[in-house]
Amino acid sequence: MPKNKPTRHIPTVDMTAMCDVAFLLLTFFMLTAKAKPQEPVSVDTPSSISETKLPEAGTLTILIDSEGKVYLDMAGQHTRLSLIKDMNEQYPMGLTEEEQLKFTIAGAFGVPRNQLKSWLDLEGSERASVKVPGVPTDSVNNELGPWIHNARLAQFRMKQEGKVPDEYVIVLKADQNTPYPAIQKVINTLIDINVNKFNLITSQEADPNKTNAL
Amino acid sequence: MADIQTSERRAGQPSRRGSPSRSATRVDLTPMVDLGFLLITFFMLTTILSKPQVMPVVMPDKTPIDDPPAITHRQVLTLLLGANDKVYWYEGITDAQLDSTTYDADGLRRVLLEKKARIDREFGKVSRSAPGSPEQKKAISKFTVLIKATPEARYKNIVDVFDEMKICGVDHYVMIDISPQEEAFIRNPAGGLQFNEAEQVAAAYRK
Repeated sequence: MPKNKPTRHIPTVDMTAMCDVAFLLLTFFMLTAKAKPQEPVSVDTPSSISETKLPEAGTLTILIDSEGKVYLDMAGQHTRLSLIKDMNEQYPMGLTEEEQLKFTIAGAFGVPRNQLKSWLDLEGSERASVKVPGVPTDSVNNELGPWIHNARLAQFRMKQEGKVPDEYVIVLKADQNTPYPAIQKVINTLIDINVNKFNLITSQEADPNKTNAL
Repeated sequence: MADIQTSERRAGQPSRRGSPSRSATRVDLTPMVDLGFLLITFFMLTTILSKPQVMPVVMPDKTPIDDPPAITHRQVLTLLLGANDKVYWYEGITDAQLDSTTYDADGLRRVLLEKKARIDREFGKVSRSAPGSPEQKKAISKFTVLIKATPEARYKNIVDVFDEMKICGVDHYVMIDISPQEEAFIRNPAGGLQFNEAEQVAAAYRK
């Protein structure tokens, strides 16, 4: 038997450095992550082969659920405050200062103008669960047009003041089972206020031209 | 580094009986690293990959144009998006024959590609400078598709049709409102399309 039998050492790797790296990256991703905006309805978007990503700029989202109810959401608290002040002047809704501030953080809303005050008076949790009729888009009673028009004007002012980098990108997010007339009303409203370019939110689907090439 | 110094005595001091041994306790950090990377993966996936895709759409302006582009009805294919995921289509205006198909790969796509190939053979392509680069010329097909949705269509159908336009490389397509004549045509295909060309142009440009 050999005398110098090697002693069995279990090699231990010092994990400290790796742990440091892992948590550094973790911290970075947590800080850069943006909270997913809460939506009043869950929407199942149709799939498409489009690979364009949603632009970074502030978005004005028109949400249409499967029943055709329309909700509106716009980014930027400065813009929202300016917008609700304008709307309250043009179409008196009797909103107090406090209610206007509530609007800036309220997220997506789907109520006609005459119900906005009582909707804003609800608690945050109630607001999400209460049944709302949606923003009216009929040609006789169209409130969507003024909202979007004024929101774009407000965002444009904010851009000139240097508070936001870009103008709004109009985004349409609709459920795949939404009947066409509801979509048509929204699109016609957009065309009427000279918004001819907008984006449809879709989920990813394989492009047959590319899969064939592989 | 990850050692925890259990002994408070300085090195060199003689060890007393009964005192704890000087060997440092090593904490195994491997599970912590595992957890760290698991969370990293989670945050990376939720931030980067959850960014939604968008499909940019440009709709025709409502202002009527004085000089509509000259296209013959033989270059035009009209799609009528009907109920229950069915798509009706007809070519041209005069003697239009209504046919129906599905949104599957061998349905609408075959119709579009066949028609496009036929028109490219018959009329050739137009060479036009590609957007953004004045030197590069791009061959553009004269094939034109009019997309008209009936009230029974659903949103998915519209996105599917726009997708097919992209897949088949249709350069000219526009989405416009359906006319009562066409709705009657779907109900009664044998009756033919009661349409004159001026009405078609007027419908297309919302005069």
